[in-house]
Amino acid sequence: MYQALLTRRYLTSKVMPLLASLAVVLCTALVLITWSVMGGFLTMLIGSGRTMTGDVVVQWPTTGFAHYEDFIERLKKDPMVEAAAPMIEAYGIAGMPDGRTQTVMIRGVDARFGEVTKYRDVIWWKPISEPLPRDYTREDPRLGSPELMQRLHAQGLSFTRTDNGVEKPAAVLGVEVSGFNRRDPAGFYTPRVRDRLLPDGGLDEVNVFLPSYGDITINVLPLDQSGGVIGTRTAKFPVANEFQSGIYELDNKLVLLRLDALQEMLHMQQAERVVDEPGTGALGQPGALGQPQGQTIIDPARVTHVLVRGRGDMGQRGAAEPLLERVTQIYEEFADAHRGEVPSVFLISIMTWEDLNRTMIQAVEKETALVLFLFGIMSLTAVFLVLAIFWAMVVEKTRDIGILRALGASRSGIVWLWLRYGLAIGLVGASLGVGLAYLVVSNINPIHEWMGRALSVQIWDPKIYYFLLIPNQVETPRAVLVLMVFVLSSMIGALIPAARAARLDPVASLRFE
Amino acid sequence: MGAAQPPLIRVTNLHKTYRMGRALVPVLRGVSLEVGEGEFVAVLGASGSGKSTLLHLMGGLDRPDATPRAEIVYRGVEMTGASVAALDRYRTLDVGFIFQFYHLLPELNVIENVLVGAMIRLGRLGYMRRGGEERDRAAALLDTVGLSHRLKHRPAELSGGERQRVAIARALMNDPSLLLADEPTGNLDHATGERVLEALLALREQGRRTMVVVTHDPDIAARADRVLRLADGVFETS
Ligand SMILES: Nc1ncnc2c1ncn2[C@@H]1O[C@H](COP(=O)(O)OP(=O)(O)O)[C@@H](O)[C@H]1O
Ligand SMILES: [Mg+2]
Repeated sequence: MYQALLTRRYLTSKVMPLLASLAVVLCTALVLITWSVMGGFLTMLIGSGRTMTGDVVVQWPTTGFAHYEDFIERLKKDPMVEAAAPMIEAYGIAGMPDGRTQTVMIRGVDARFGEVTKYRDVIWWKPISEPLPRDYTREDPRLGSPELMQRLHAQGLSFTRTDNGVEKPAAVLGVEVSGFNRRDPAGFYTPRVRDRLLPDGGLDEVNVFLPSYGDITINVLPLDQSGGVIGTRTAKFPVANEFQSGIYELDNKLVLLRLDALQEMLHMQQAERVVDEPGTGALGQPGALGQPQGQTIIDPARVTHVLVRGRGDMGQRGAAEPLLERVTQIYEEFADAHRGEVPSVFLISIMTWEDLNRTMIQAVEKETALVLFLFGIMSLTAVFLVLAIFWAMVVEKTRDIGILRALGASRSGIVWLWLRYGLAIGLVGASLGVGLAYLVVSNINPIHEWMGRALSVQIWDPKIYYFLLIPNQVETPRAVLVLMVFVLSSMIGALIPAARAARLDPVASLRFE
Repeated sequence: MGAAQPPLIRVTNLHKTYRMGRALVPVLRGVSLEVGEGEFVAVLGASGSGKSTLLHLMGGLDRPDATPRAEIVYRGVEMTGASVAALDRYRTLDVGFIFQFYHLLPELNVIENVLVGAMIRLGRLGYMRRGGEERDRAAALLDTVGLSHRLKHRPAELSGGERQRVAIARALMNDPSLLLADEPTGNLDHATGERVLEALLALREQGRRTMVVVTHDPDIAARADRVLRLADGVFETS
C-alpha cells in the first residue's frame, strides 16, 4: 500500500521520473511510428504484388499450351474460381514516337484480364471526379475533358483504338514506359513534349498524347517449339491507354497488347498446317499409319499463362493455397482430356501470387525483421534508460529506504516499491508514447508536407515509393504489443535498481546523507 | 526495580564489530542489559560510543557479531537467530523507532508519514479495509502531539520540533511495546526539546510503554527510571 502512495508521490514531485517517462514515451512512439509506417508500406507492397497477376498462375512459358479455353471453361465451373483469363508473356523491344527504343515485357491479354487482376483499377486515363489528395490546385488533366477520358477508358478496357473509323488492336503501356508522361509531386501525370534526335545533330520536337494518337512499334521474336528464333516480327500498335500499378518494375517495363494480336505475331494463333509425310506418301498406303499425304490439320491457339482469381479475398499470406490445389486438380483433369497435346500436370508450373512474388515478399520479411530489430534495440534502450535513472533515484532515496525498513518494510516490499514505480513509469510513458504515435501517424501526411514546405525536406518521395500517401494507420494489436513491451521494459529496467534497493543495509541507509 | 518484573527485552553479551576496509572496529564488546516491562531507561555515552548501534541491534535493524554469541530475548523469544521475516514483523509490530534527524519521508505529508507504519503492518488489502480507522488513529495521535492543524503539510514545511512530534506519532502508530529513541531532542533547542519530551512521555504513559532513550540531555536522564552509561563498548558500572 505504501508502495502505491510513494509511487504516486515520487511520480508527481520529482524530475527524474519525468525524464524516465519521457524516455519511454519517445522509445514507444518511435517504434510504433516506424512500425506503423513501414508495416503499412509493406502491406501495400505485398498487396501490389497481386495487382497484375491474380491469385493463381498456370504457366508453360515460351511455347505456350493449347486448348486453354477448355481449361478456362473447366476452371470457371468450379465454385472456388471467380474468373480466369488467358495471357501470353513475351519479351520484346518497343520503339517510341520519339525514336527511342527500350526492352519491354509484353503481355497479351483480352478483356478477361480485367476480371482476374486489378487491371481495371489501375487504368490511368479515365474520368475522375475528385483530385488526388495532394492535388490542391486541381491540375490533374484527368479532371477536365470527361468525354476524352471516357473514350480512353473504354479503349483501355477493350485494348482497341479506333483511328479514322478503323478499329485496331492496341497497346496499353505502363505509365512510365514511354517517357511521355511527367509525374507531378502530387502524383498525377501530364503529357510532355520530347525531342527526337536526328542523325544530323538536330532535334525534332515530338508532341503527342499517346492514348489519343500515339503509336508504338513492337518487335518480338517468335520462337519455335524448341525455343529457337523463327524470325523477328514487327508491328505498329496504337496506344489505347496507360496503367499505373504502383510497382515500378511493371509501370516502367510492361506493355499490354491485345491477345489475338500478340498470338498472331508469335505464331501462337490457331493455324492450319499441311502434313507432308514422305514415308506414307511413297508407300501409297493412306490410312494405315496415320494421316494421308497432304492432309491439313489444325494447330489450336496457345497461350503461355492462364491467370485465375479465386472467390473471396486471397490477399492474406497463404490464403491462395487451397485455390492452388483446386486449380492443380482441374488442370490434371484437363490434361487427361487432352493427353499428348498439353503439358502434364507434373510439368506445368502452377503458382500462387505469393510464390510469384517470393523475392519481394522475402525482402519485405527482411524489412519487417529490421523493424523488429529496431524494436529490440529501442526496448533495450528503454530498459537501460530506466535502469540508469532508477539507479540514480535509488541512490537519492537510500535514506527513505532505510526509514521504511526501520518501520518494518520487508525486502520484497522494497522490491515491489521500485517495480511498481517502474510499472507506473512504463504505463504512463508507454501510454503517452502510443498516444503520441497515434497523433503523429494519423497526421503523418500533413506533417510530412509541412516539413516539405517549412524545411524543404521530403523524406517520402512518391517517385521512389510510388505510393502517393504515407500509410497513416496504427493497427491496434501493434499498439497494444508495443505498449506491453515498453511497460515490461520499464519494469525490467527497474528490476536491478529494485534489487539493489532491497539489499541496502538499513542501518547504513539511515546513516546515509 | 526493573528486575522485579519479567524483562520485556534482555540483551546479553552483545558484541558488534564494524569492518573499515581491513581494520576491524569493535564498537560494542559485551553489552548486557535488561529492560523491564514499562521501564524507561536512558542511555548516555560519548559520541561514537555505540549508542545508536545498540538501539539498532535491539530494534532488529541489524544483527550482532556471530561470535562471541550474543542473546537478545524479547518477550521470551530469541531474536539474534530469528528469520528476516520475523525481524521485519518485530520492527513492524513491537518496536517504534525515533531518530535524532526525524527521518520523515519528504514526499509524504504529515498524516501519510504517520500512516506508513499501518500500511506496512496491514498490507494492501488490510489497509484498504481498515484505512478509515487507521486514519482516525493517526489523526488522534497527531492531535495528542499538537499537530492536528498540520495534517496535510509536508515535512519541509514544519519546524524541527514539529517534525520530531510527527516522528513520535509515527513510532506509536502500530502501538509498539518498545520505544527506541535515538537522541530525540538532540537536534532541538532546549525549549522545543522540552515540549517534544513532554509529548513523548505523555504518550508513553498512556500505553505504559517500555522505552530506551539514547540522549545527552540531562533533563531526559533525570526523568528516566534508570540511567546507563556506555563507554569503551560496555556499560559502566556506577
Ligand atoms: N557502518 C559502519 N562502518 C564502520 N563504522 C561504523 C559504522 N557505523 C558506525 N560505525 C562506527 O561505530 C561507532 C559507533 O557509532 P554509533 O553507534 O553511531 O555511536 P553513537 O550513536 O554513540 O554516536 C562510531 O565510531 C562509528 O564511526
Ligand atoms: Mg548516534
